[in-house]
Amino acid sequence: MKLLVCVKQVPDSEGHLSISQEGSWVTYEDKTVFRMNRFDEFALEEALLIRDRIFHAKKTSIDAISVGPPRARLTLKKAMAMGADEGIHIREDQDRYMSPFDTASLIASYAKDKAYDMILAGVMAEDDMHCLVGQFIAEILEYPCATSVIHQEIINDGSEISVEREIETGRRECLRLKLPAVLTIQSGINTPRYPSLSNVIRARDQKIITIDAEKLQTLGKREELVLLSYPEPSSKGLFLEGTQREKAQTLLRILHEKSFI
Amino acid sequence: MKNPSYNGSMKAQIAVIAEHTENRILPVTYESLSFAMELGERLGMNISVLILGNTVEAMAKQLAERTGSHVIGVEGEQLQFYNGEAYKAATIEVLETFDSQYICMSHTATGFDLAPRLASYLNASCVTSVEKIRTREGNIRFIRSMFNGKLHAEMAPATAKAVLTILPGTWPSLEIHPKSKGSVHIITTNFVPVASQTLEIKESEKGKLNLGDADVIISAGRGVRNPENLHLLEELAKIFPKSALGSSKAACDLGWLGYQHQIGITGQTVSPRLYIACGISGAVQHISGMRGSQTIIGINSDPDASIFNVADYGIVENIETFIPILLDEFRHFSASS
Repeated sequence: MKLLVCVKQVPDSEGHLSISQEGSWVTYEDKTVFRMNRFDEFALEEALLIRDRIFHAKKTSIDAISVGPPRARLTLKKAMAMGADEGIHIREDQDRYMSPFDTASLIASYAKDKAYDMILAGVMAEDDMHCLVGQFIAEILEYPCATSVIHQEIINDGSEISVEREIETGRRECLRLKLPAVLTIQSGINTPRYPSLSNVIRARDQKIITIDAEKLQTLGKREELVLLSYPEPSSKGLFLEGTQREKAQTLLRILHEKSFI
Repeated sequence: MKNPSYNGSMKAQIAVIAEHTENRILPVTYESLSFAMELGERLGMNISVLILGNTVEAMAKQLAERTGSHVIGVEGEQLQFYNGEAYKAATIEVLETFDSQYICMSHTATGFDLAPRLASYLNASCVTSVEKIRTREGNIRFIRSMFNGKLHAEMAPATAKAVLTILPGTWPSLEIHPKSKGSVHIITTNFVPVASQTLEIKESEKGKLNLGDADVIISAGRGVRNPENLHLLEELAKIFPKSALGSSKAACDLGWLGYQHQIGITGQTVSPRLYIACGISGAVQHISGMRGSQTIIGINSDPDASIFNVADYGIVENIETFIPILLDEFRHFSASS
């Protein structure tokens, strides 16, 4: 089985974020910490679990792919340290906003002639929070797709996959897809592993396959991000001031005035 | 599909796809309709509603009465449960007749599954979890959150058509009782999906906990830092009658609390009298499930956390140190009153 896992590098968004001068994207500072999108960690772990389960019967390979500026290599190294066999970097020279459709068309353009049995991605990215890339890849490649997957099992000799997707109030929709297929993985499906020492060493020495985004086919332009701004705080919002004890006293007074206590 | 037979006047520039379960229209559908009404007023466009399922006539009539709009019901055995492939096929057939410029649905597990499938087919833009509409120099823009709600992005469709998912909890439920009674048109489809098959809906294995009954909800997020600190939140909950523990999805994923406590998209939607968010950053997925609370208190060590954008009272403190002091002060308070 041949699996492709889409991993995105995102900034750790604790603390303040600066909007670029034109307002078209974020300006990252030198101290900004980048890491793998958490939802993609779950997707990668699910691929690793598939390989662990069927390793004896058939050889299963896992490729991790990332679209992004040069720093995205680090996220591919992390994916390889977790256990991915290969890292594929679709390199964008500029550190700019990429629409989900653009990202998906680049990944689909790479994957179309590689005969992957399954493409996995996180249900969404933590930075732009679109929930779209996986579905777009599936549409472009004309593969069936299941989103928000919380359980999966390969059935019928590897020709189909049975999945459960998480829907509102924790209910699950059970469906069956023919392979090849695209799955977008919901968080909580598994517990992503820590990199093992042997994989860390292997990843350190292993080359990443780098392809310039320009060399791949992109499809027409869709929606554009015109302007970023800071949301207006709710006008009624009030920050409590003072020491921890003073804040606690103020809060209790407010709760008392509003008859909660 | 059997003879849809619309006439030319049935063109709908805005189409809204209704969501339902067990013969009941979901409340989020009426929020998406409010959004569509606002968009329609700004652009001078009319609205039609689409509902898909195996028997939808009664729900279609209900939608027509409440909205005064034209409602198309598409019935088919394969539409008993949501299936992306079947829903896409049935929807595009109707949309081709409508020639809709905007196609709207809720940002739910169904909506975000279906929207890109339609957008891809229609060569349309796709903007998810829309929170606001803005008009700039005559151009329509859709506002959505990014980076856990720390930033707002204005999105502009660069195509003739756009598919939109509407963030639950941001538009009020549609209340109007229009003069027009609307109209209903039911068609049937025999489309059978080939590459995927939806088999059943499993009820939640998460156990039942109806957070909707609580007057006060104390919610835990990643900022609680350690599951051992949850007892602090339990103690805090005890000072209120009719209280319950809620959770962000992140805290459930970490195994700190069961998913029956989860509030937001794929969890429960609540509107208690008091909501205390402890160590919750305030991602839109969470906010959309608790925004309706009467009083919101946010406690988070990150002063830029977006929970403070919806909180009535904000406290920039660490949960581990602040809650024990709050509980201690409460003991003084109850001893003196």
